Amino acid sequence: MVDGMHLTPIGSRTVLLEPRDGMDPGDPEAYAEPLLQYLQRNQARRLIYDLKNVPVIDELYYAWLVRVSALCQIAGIDLVTANMRPAAAYALALMLTAPPPFTCALDVDSARGVARR
Amino acid sequence: MLNIGKISSIIEKQGQSIFGQTNLLSNEEISDYTLEFLELFVLLVQKGDKPDHRSPEFKALRKFFGNASHQIQLRGGTLDEFVRYVQFLQRVFLENLESDSSATFEQTREILLLLATMFNDIVLDVFHSYLEEKERTITAQQEELRQTSTPITEIWDGVLTLPVIGTLDSSRTLVVMESLLSRIEADRAKVVVIDVTGVLAIDSQVSHHLIQMIRAIGLMGAEAILTGIRPEIARALTNLNIDLGDVITRSSLSEGLKEAFRRLNIEAVNKPRPVPAS
Repeated sequence: MVDGMHLTPIGSRTVLLEPRDGMDPGDPEAYAEPLLQYLQRNQARRLIYDLKNVPVIDELYYAWLVRVSALCQIAGIDLVTANMRPAAAYALALMLTAPPPFTCALDVDSARGVARR
Repeated sequence: MLNIGKISSIIEKQGQSIFGQTNLLSNEEISDYTLEFLELFVLLVQKGDKPDHRSPEFKALRKFFGNASHQIQLRGGTLDEFVRYVQFLQRVFLENLESDSSATFEQTREILLLLATMFNDIVLDVFHSYLEEKERTITAQQEELRQTSTPITEIWDGVLTLPVIGTLDSSRTLVVMESLLSRIEADRAKVVVIDVTGVLAIDSQVSHHLIQMIRAIGLMGAEAILTGIRPEIARALTNLNIDLGDVITRSSLSEGLKEAFRRLNIEAVNKPRPVPAS
């Protein structure tokens, strides 16, 4: 287990990540290695990041997601976000100047079906 | 000095002529308004001091005219009619004063000053009230236009269409995006077809807003298909060096819908008509 997040293998070499309230996106170093270790231990090919409990994605949080995406890419793992809230998508769209480096899905079921990059 | 009885009948008669004939006010209302106006006016005159905008009597009179003009506007009356009526009231008082030989020069001067100040303020208030009402109407109409000119429709399970008509400024983009993203969540939409056939002109700002909208749709996990890019719009986009990147585009709404169905693995086939049994 990794502090600050709930990780669940959900089959087909996919891991579901649900961030907890205590997770600090401003300190990615605290989570990077443990997360990657967990994913590699479970031979994950896909990480689904569930954003249903994330009300706002600001620059800090987005930087954290980009960091996770970069880590996954290095390890040959696809990152797919799911359940982004309308308000978070709205604010993020206004902030971004380029598409995100990860795939976004409507929900976890859709995320499972996303084709691998 | 002021023959209130005589003035009252003159004012009421003119009120009936202006507002009664066009049915803006009933005879009872004209009579009530006349009475109320004269009561307030007498209170103001009886105070005896120099005209003071802050006095309760002055404010009460201005409020009275504000309410009256608002009511007449709501019933379709014009500003001209009301201002002419107010000017008529002023004339009536001036004529009454002229015909009264008992007033001293000082008294006449003070009353003239009072009338001038009072009626100028009333006319200004009426103009302000008229403008505020017009602005409220315009704002309401703009809001209604904004809502109706960008309807979001679910035309198939998981497929939303968004025809954009007119121009796409920042405030409209924000309103549309908010509604659209909520609909995507509520309807679990997987594809949004944005049709820009009705977009009059495209500049860097409009295309920036469109790209923002498409990006937001992608962040929600849905796909956006842009349709209806007319040749002049395409030319404008290339002239502006705007790169739509990975945005899926199709020439028409029907092509966009076909693409949406394809992405959802939905196939529309022509079913042969059943042959009626002979």
